Amino acid sequence: MDIIGIDVGGTNTDAAFIRHGRVVGMAKVPTNHEDLIESTKQAMNEIMAYYATSGQVQLHLSTTLSTNAIIEGTGSPAAALGMPGPGVNLAALDLGFPFFPLGGYIDHRGREVAELNEGEVLAAAKEAKRAGAEALAIAGKFSHRNPVHEQRAGALVAASGLGFSNVTLGHRLSGRANFPRRVVTAYLNSRVASLQTHFCRIIENLLEMEKYRAIREVLILKADGGTMSLEESCQLPVETILSGPAASILGAQALSKHTQENAVIVDIGGTTTDIAVIVAGEPLYQRRGADIAGYRTLVPALFTRSIGLGGDSEVHVQVEEGEVRFRLGPRRAGTPAAMGGSRPTPTDAAVALEMARIGDRGRARECIKELAEPLGLSWRQAAQGIIEAFTGQLVEEVRAIYQRLAGIPLYTVSEILAPPDFHPRVMVGLGGPAQVFIPLAAKLMGLPWEILPFSEGANAIGAAAARPTAAITLHADTELEVLTIPEIGYHGRIDRALLFDRQRARQEALRQAASYAQRLGLPDHEDVYIVEEESFNVVRGFHTVGRIHSIRAQLRPRVRRIEVTEDIADGKA
Amino acid sequence: MLTAKHKVGLIFFPAFDWCITPDHPEREERLLYTRDQILEEGLLDVEGIEEYRPFVAEDKDILRAHVCVPSVAARVTESHRIAVGGTMLAADLVLDKKVDRAFALLRPPGHHAMRIVHGSRGFCTVNNEAIMVEHIRHRLSPKTRIAIVDTDAHHADGTQDIFYNDPGILHISIHQDGRTLYPGTGDVQERGGPAAYGQTVNIPLPPGTGDEGLLYVMEKAVMPILADWEPDIIINAAGQDNHFTDPLTHMNVSARGYARLTDMLGPDIVVLEGGYSIEGGLPYVNVGILLALAGLDYSHVKEPVPQPTQPPQVMGQIERITETVMRAWATRDQVDRSRLFGEGEYFQRHRAIYYDTDNLLEEQRELIRLCPDCSGWRLIYSKASGYYSSLTSRGQIAAVVIPWLACPKCRAEAENKYELIAKEGRCRQVFLQDVARDAFTNWRK
Repeated sequence: MDIIGIDVGGTNTDAAFIRHGRVVGMAKVPTNHEDLIESTKQAMNEIMAYYATSGQVQLHLSTTLSTNAIIEGTGSPAAALGMPGPGVNLAALDLGFPFFPLGGYIDHRGREVAELNEGEVLAAAKEAKRAGAEALAIAGKFSHRNPVHEQRAGALVAASGLGFSNVTLGHRLSGRANFPRRVVTAYLNSRVASLQTHFCRIIENLLEMEKYRAIREVLILKADGGTMSLEESCQLPVETILSGPAASILGAQALSKHTQENAVIVDIGGTTTDIAVIVAGEPLYQRRGADIAGYRTLVPALFTRSIGLGGDSEVHVQVEEGEVRFRLGPRRAGTPAAMGGSRPTPTDAAVALEMARIGDRGRARECIKELAEPLGLSWRQAAQGIIEAFTGQLVEEVRAIYQRLAGIPLYTVSEILAPPDFHPRVMVGLGGPAQVFIPLAAKLMGLPWEILPFSEGANAIGAAAARPTAAITLHADTELEVLTIPEIGYHGRIDRALLFDRQRARQEALRQAASYAQRLGLPDHEDVYIVEEESFNVVRGFHTVGRIHSIRAQLRPRVRRIEVTEDIADGKA
Repeated sequence: MLTAKHKVGLIFFPAFDWCITPDHPEREERLLYTRDQILEEGLLDVEGIEEYRPFVAEDKDILRAHVCVPSVAARVTESHRIAVGGTMLAADLVLDKKVDRAFALLRPPGHHAMRIVHGSRGFCTVNNEAIMVEHIRHRLSPKTRIAIVDTDAHHADGTQDIFYNDPGILHISIHQDGRTLYPGTGDVQERGGPAAYGQTVNIPLPPGTGDEGLLYVMEKAVMPILADWEPDIIINAAGQDNHFTDPLTHMNVSARGYARLTDMLGPDIVVLEGGYSIEGGLPYVNVGILLALAGLDYSHVKEPVPQPTQPPQVMGQIERITETVMRAWATRDQVDRSRLFGEGEYFQRHRAIYYDTDNLLEEQRELIRLCPDCSGWRLIYSKASGYYSSLTSRGQIAAVVIPWLACPKCRAEAENKYELIAKEGRCRQVFLQDVARDAFTNWRK
């Protein structure tokens, strides 16, 4: 089967055509911010040129639609109803959107402590509507342990005829704890839901057209580097945020020779460098969820750190005790002098030293010389200083990331005595300036390195390489005889709870994950495994009266390996 | 998003894979619901609350405060070393000014562990706070004035034992009256050894004491005593078993009461001690303490079940105890110490110490030199055996303790005595604890 990967990014829309695991064509069009769909269509048109008259095509789409809406504050006006119970004073939280606190309270074991006040729910929903909300989020504290209040409130709002375009229930978005993030995530989801639905309808209409007939299936990229169906993306549009950076990491993974090792991925662009971490072949996730535009969410997302360091960075000079030191970024200086700009950049230093063969070497040297002379340096010394500064700053950031990882909290004796090993074994670089800086940075860190053959478009290849992801969180409390799976809205009794031991809990989690994946129409839905598990006694007095099992099971995340032939790699495409 | 007024370092170590026994109060899931509550409240997202991973403490760290018989390795588990390391890290974070305050929310606890360690008592093996205190003095200066305010419902007899003759430490323990609860000690009249008389302050409270009573003694006794003594560092050994849902005690304090206590005290370092209402108490108390430490609003913290009121007769008793404590504090320097400790060269005391967790009985004879120039070197003879049969004893040990800022005479005497007892060979093992030189040696038969 052929796959088209498209990443509608902030500046450009990249597309890649993959046939039998090989890149056969790439395309790039500028992104039209006013009309992302138009940009998508343009990219589709260009990349379909590589279609070879027969066979089916799968389209993988990564868009900034939700990301943009959230950053720019657009989408449907929305409000949130919440059941915070006692605890942190939410009034102090300053969520940045209308929030209506309601009565009703679930405790940490999912027991109802105070009933939901139905009259209050309807009154708040009416008030939200009156104040202009078109979409509504409903989130309760500990709703991942017991979603009944959210479900009841959702049903009341649905039956009220208030006509919200979307009502998002917090527990459906994540099985993880964190009430403030749940409220924010549900709110953002409700805000972007209409946009995403509109987008999906247009894509579906496009597929009716003759020229796109070959495209049989469209998958949407998520922040965790997985895909979901068009239909699912309308339910959980918030998961599509930050899919662009995820696509780049996937691209690096798909193209790298180092598939099973610990690796650091360094994507050096003109303005920024993005750093990601691979542990035993799997990308590292953000610990608590994606952060976007000041909102902290529960959206599962790949970990990336973006720093203001790139080929076009500003060059600053510091003179300390007669010694000249260069410091780069965080802002962009503009186009490198070698390419027609006026201020020196790291790219110019590389061009001047013949480490890169682009643009006008003479102009690069001239520009560096202007910087160097007042400092009493030759152009060569200055250029070398800039290259060293770039490498030094990059390595400093990479080391800082690993230092933080080496200190992540661990909660068991065995883990503290044998902490997880994140340390990179290889540095994988991509982006235009990578060939200059990656070998130097890797050498400084004592690592082998690999440079991927794409300076641009790895994101589109990554989009094509993505496979579906799906996860469930099973929480079984055998004393209360209750089993909860928030992602599917399940909250029911456990039969013969005494016999529901750890083994049963595992089997049930795997079964539920597989059937969830199957319902989502995912191939390989049987390939599920347990990623996290906990099992604790419940003791009353001095007797064990039950057990709490908490298990997270998911579809094995995979990335397609993608090969690349010489003629399509950098500069020759 | 919330921003903390005081930057707080949280060292959370629930030891999810360690227990005394699976049904014991000190069991694997003790901090499970606390973790769930802290995560769900989003407290780790608060700007200014930073989580840190504890390190594993070494033998030497533990030996500054303890004499472990026969060795550290024989007495402590890795879990204890991590709890100790986490507590020391709390101090390091504050001393290095990485945070304003630190909260070592970890287990196993330590405040019943005395200087000599033959085993575990009151669920404790080694004393987290005491080891941290010695770490602080080792890092800064032996002259650092450190106050420990222990708000566990049980008398902090271990911490009291370790510092009872230490002029650099003020140890205040507020607890449920020893006549009604383990370990039975902690009377107002226990006021410290000859070199630190009055600096052991015990405030036993009647069963039934609630927020009102606890905050009353904080306001009328603890805060004035602290203001008077002017410590450089305040440590709160924050046991949470005064909570009204605790299964082992009979007090009526709420999570908000604990938060107000923390707010009033403004400790530099808080260390979890006991507290075994793992579902109904700890999650709320810990959220309350963390919010109060960070300087955030804790007025919305509330347990799911209503708090019983403090019985009316209790307040009068608390007022009388407070009065006694304050009178004792005010007159501590006027007491004729020769009447209490004798006029000889040494003060001697005999004690029997019960290790409930390990069911051991220790017999102890302790000599403290009544030195005009320092707090005096100490000699402790100790023998532990199974509670039901002294035949199980592995024989007597001796420990020679050279205190911080020991005078040359005490130091020389102590060093000679160590050599002499070893040479005599009547003790199975002889220990020398020399904090100032950071040297901890022992001789074995």
